[in-house]
Amino acid sequence: MARLAHKMAIANSHIVADVVEVSEFPDLAQRYMVRGVPKTVINDSVDFLGNVPEATFVEHIQRAASLDVT
Amino acid sequence: MAFLSPENQSDIKKIFADLSGDVRLLFFTQRDSPLIIPGREDCPTCKDTRALLEEVVALSDKLHLEIHEVSPDSEIAREHGIDRVPALIMMADGVKGKVRYFGLPSGYEFSVLLGSLLDVSKAEADLSEDTIEVLNALDKDLHFQVFVTPT
Repeated sequence: MARLAHKMAIANSHIVADVVEVSEFPDLAQRYMVRGVPKTVINDSVDFLGNVPEATFVEHIQRAASLDVT
Repeated sequence: MAFLSPENQSDIKKIFADLSGDVRLLFFTQRDSPLIIPGREDCPTCKDTRALLEEVVALSDKLHLEIHEVSPDSEIAREHGIDRVPALIMMADGVKGKVRYFGLPSGYEFSVLLGSLLDVSKAEADLSEDTIEVLNALDKDLHFQVFVTPT
């Protein structure tokens, strides 16, 4: 997931892709309720757990883009 | 203490033979202070992350490490949207968005670091055409956070 997220940021100027070692940042673990890894959060509005295929990641991105009103 | 054994180093050098363009690694770390100031957040992994990155960049002349010792109000940190350390931004010509890593990339995540360095260096992501199409149609900013743990 981490490398795929980075690839998407390489390809698109709208994307900031962060990979976060969650054990070092307990405040983020708490804020995003990270109980398993990898956990991916998009724009604070969509999240999913585990490794998913590229096409599924893209679906989540589309959902986040449609939810995000800003 | 060295993180990378001579064997590690020779394996990584082989991987780095595939680097194409130069990569800038902007590393943000805590300003070293001999004083312990109450309320000041400590960064237990900053030193190790810096040492590891120094060992990694020594293995290829295409990798350029820039170390920024920052405090929360540092301009360079603000400019790059860095609000916590240790933080790494990988940049290269042709890379469009921001590729960042927070924390010490150890265990399995070390291989993610190496992989992303290669991808950034090529400035080419082997994504499917469908993915590229969807991404290109985006007109809003997206922030991905992938939470991982060292294994």
